Amino acid sequence: MKKSNLFWTFNFLLGSGLIAFACQNEPQIVSIPILPLESEVADGDYPYKRLSTYGFFEGNVNKLQPTENVVIYKPASSLFTDYALKSRFVFFPEGTKAKLVSDDLEFPKGTVIIKNFYYPIDFREPEGERRIIETRLMVNSSTGWEAFPYIWDESQSDAVLKIVGGQTEVNFIDYSGKDQVVNYLIPNKNQCKSCHNIAEQMVPIGVKVKHLNNELDYGTGEMNQLMHWTSLEKLEGFEGEKAHPSMINYEDSSLPLDDRAMAYLDINCSHCHNAEGPASTSGLFLTYDQTDPMKLGINKTPVAAGIGAGKYKFDIAPGLADESIMTHRMNSTKVGVAMPELGRTTVHVEGVVLIRDWINSMKP
Amino acid sequence: MPKYYLLSSIVLLVFAASCSSSSNEQTFDSSKIVRASAIEVEKVVEDFILVEDGGIIDIPAGFYELETQLIIDNKTNITIKGAGMDQTFLSFKGLQSGGEGVKIVGNNIIIQDLSIEDAPGDGVKAQHSDGITFRRINVTWTNGDKSKNGTYAIYPVQCKNVMIDEVIASHSKDAGIYVGQSENIVVKNSLAFGNVAGIEIENSNNAEVFGNTARNNSGGILIFNLPGLPKSDGGSTRIYDNDVIENNHKNFATPMGEGPNGNTVTMIPPGSGIVLLAAKEVEIFNNRILRNKTFGVAIASYQITGFPDEAPNWSPYTSDIYLHDNQYDRSEGFPDLTRELGQLVSIYNAHGKAKTQDIIYDGIWDTTLSETIDTNPMRICISEPSMSELYFSRFALMNGDENIEAFKESIPFQNCKVEVLTKTDQLAGM
Repeated sequence: MKKSNLFWTFNFLLGSGLIAFACQNEPQIVSIPILPLESEVADGDYPYKRLSTYGFFEGNVNKLQPTENVVIYKPASSLFTDYALKSRFVFFPEGTKAKLVSDDLEFPKGTVIIKNFYYPIDFREPEGERRIIETRLMVNSSTGWEAFPYIWDESQSDAVLKIVGGQTEVNFIDYSGKDQVVNYLIPNKNQCKSCHNIAEQMVPIGVKVKHLNNELDYGTGEMNQLMHWTSLEKLEGFEGEKAHPSMINYEDSSLPLDDRAMAYLDINCSHCHNAEGPASTSGLFLTYDQTDPMKLGINKTPVAAGIGAGKYKFDIAPGLADESIMTHRMNSTKVGVAMPELGRTTVHVEGVVLIRDWINSMKP
Repeated sequence: MPKYYLLSSIVLLVFAASCSSSSNEQTFDSSKIVRASAIEVEKVVEDFILVEDGGIIDIPAGFYELETQLIIDNKTNITIKGAGMDQTFLSFKGLQSGGEGVKIVGNNIIIQDLSIEDAPGDGVKAQHSDGITFRRINVTWTNGDKSKNGTYAIYPVQCKNVMIDEVIASHSKDAGIYVGQSENIVVKNSLAFGNVAGIEIENSNNAEVFGNTARNNSGGILIFNLPGLPKSDGGSTRIYDNDVIENNHKNFATPMGEGPNGNTVTMIPPGSGIVLLAAKEVEIFNNRILRNKTFGVAIASYQITGFPDEAPNWSPYTSDIYLHDNQYDRSEGFPDLTRELGQLVSIYNAHGKAKTQDIIYDGIWDTTLSETIDTNPMRICISEPSMSELYFSRFALMNGDENIEAFKESIPFQNCKVEVLTKTDQLAGM
């Protein structure tokens, strides 16, 4: 019962947008439909259809210049998303502030976390011309956090709400001057929660105390991010850097290998791989503070890894990175094998090197 | 698992390996079903996202080629309904990211009357759900090369009150119907074929498995408890009135030419009827366990895998088993030689080399409970009317690889019974 491959080569005209389905396994080129939208009024009834309606950015929206109640942030370590660069902001409703309670951040209703994913045309000039692909908003509504994906149009004039997600081919020149192509996948709205999930409640990932309790260059000088929020009267309860947990940047090679590896696993894996996350089924828990060898995967057999296990017996075979399921899955782009499951269609070469070195440094 | 070295079995190996068949049988033909338009496909994706509590997602007849996952996110009282297993097909062949085709989280969710094909990971997964019903759904893979198939067809995990009824699960690389880390479970009147494992209940409590057919898998029905999981152990399973027939499919959980990996299912020898591994409180009765070429029922402890066998709140031993009034037929060919458990049976069983066994017991017991297995410390109770005609082997594996023995003697395991209590009447209305 084989389906005709011919079918995969049919083209569809859809509305004013042209969507081309290419043969399987070949990069699919999808130009993002620009739907003619009526002008929209910022009536406070979220979500808006257009990103520009929120008024988060001054002037040309694509410059991503924040307005007064919109504050830039950057987590210490960054989640890998097919080498996309990100510019991140938090919008605080007028006159509100977040609270820091027991090392957790509590945001006021109406807070919006804004994350823009973009590629410079040439990574050697990251401040040069760029293409913004998508902007994800997480809105702290009366019923909890909710996620809304916006896809940028080709003219880069605005982004439009698209709850079913999409995909688009991205071309760029990498740091070494090589041409690269990425088939970038924009998640559908409900896929957001595949990662942003604790006990089936939607939660932010990067906007946590441990990720923000560090210095950021604001252009006017460096300052601890939570201190900066405090000085802007957007945060209360911060008692100084030493009083709260903080995580390191795994890219900082001057720091101990163990800490860097744990920071990498925390920001890339632990949103699912924790006791209350979607991957709790696996018993593999990869938070920064994890010390139990079995929960880290050391000499632990998989449960439901299927083809993800490859030829290997253990998640981590200490001293043997090339015989560990963890590196095998990080090194794959095959759906069903690749980890993380979402947000990655390419291998994060630098991340694999870090985890390989870490596993190889363990005593067998 | 220790290595069982073969002496002069090369000829036999070639012969036996050629005996494990592979199947690509399909229950329904989706090739003639009208392809849904891009707009119709997008509507299904949208319906899953926008559905509200109490809603019904109707998916009309058609073949839907999805490039993204279908996810129910924490909703209550939802029915997902196709036009029939032979009418509504959700194909995930083009899925480019995500672990499973359909993912369900919520309470009182029903998915029924549709087919799911070719998900790269799992077909349909339900997690953290109380009240989940899978009824008349067919989940399968259509790849000719089965090594490309996904892990589980129907996969409720960390759920409560699970009803699996009249489903068909085929060709998954792990288990067709897999219930993990759940409680209050009914699997009935369903068909599993062409999978590595037909039906598997793992780290779960209070399960009834009845009226099913598990045929032509590598292993028919598996009851496992694996170490190191959030739900650390399971118990109370009753398996009855099932047809566990000709589960002689080759084990394709790892690619051709590759041996087992860390997934326990990769060790299952073709020709396995029912396998208990670190299982607790299981009653198996009134089943027809026929023509499984390696063994009808295996009672095994986790130590047999050779993997680390210590974990908190978990025991590697299989205990409190009651096997009675089943029908056996060991007339199918020779036992498997591709997996170590198959080699153990082939070479060391108590009835002569290359004889299919009806019941095997690995004879591994907790020596802190008794100095000898003759007291039946793990409470393995076998009460088969035809016992005198059955091939029973109890192995002795605890004295090293050089001293493996097997015994026909089943008296220590007869004349006892274990009462296994399950309570599933609260699922009657599901």
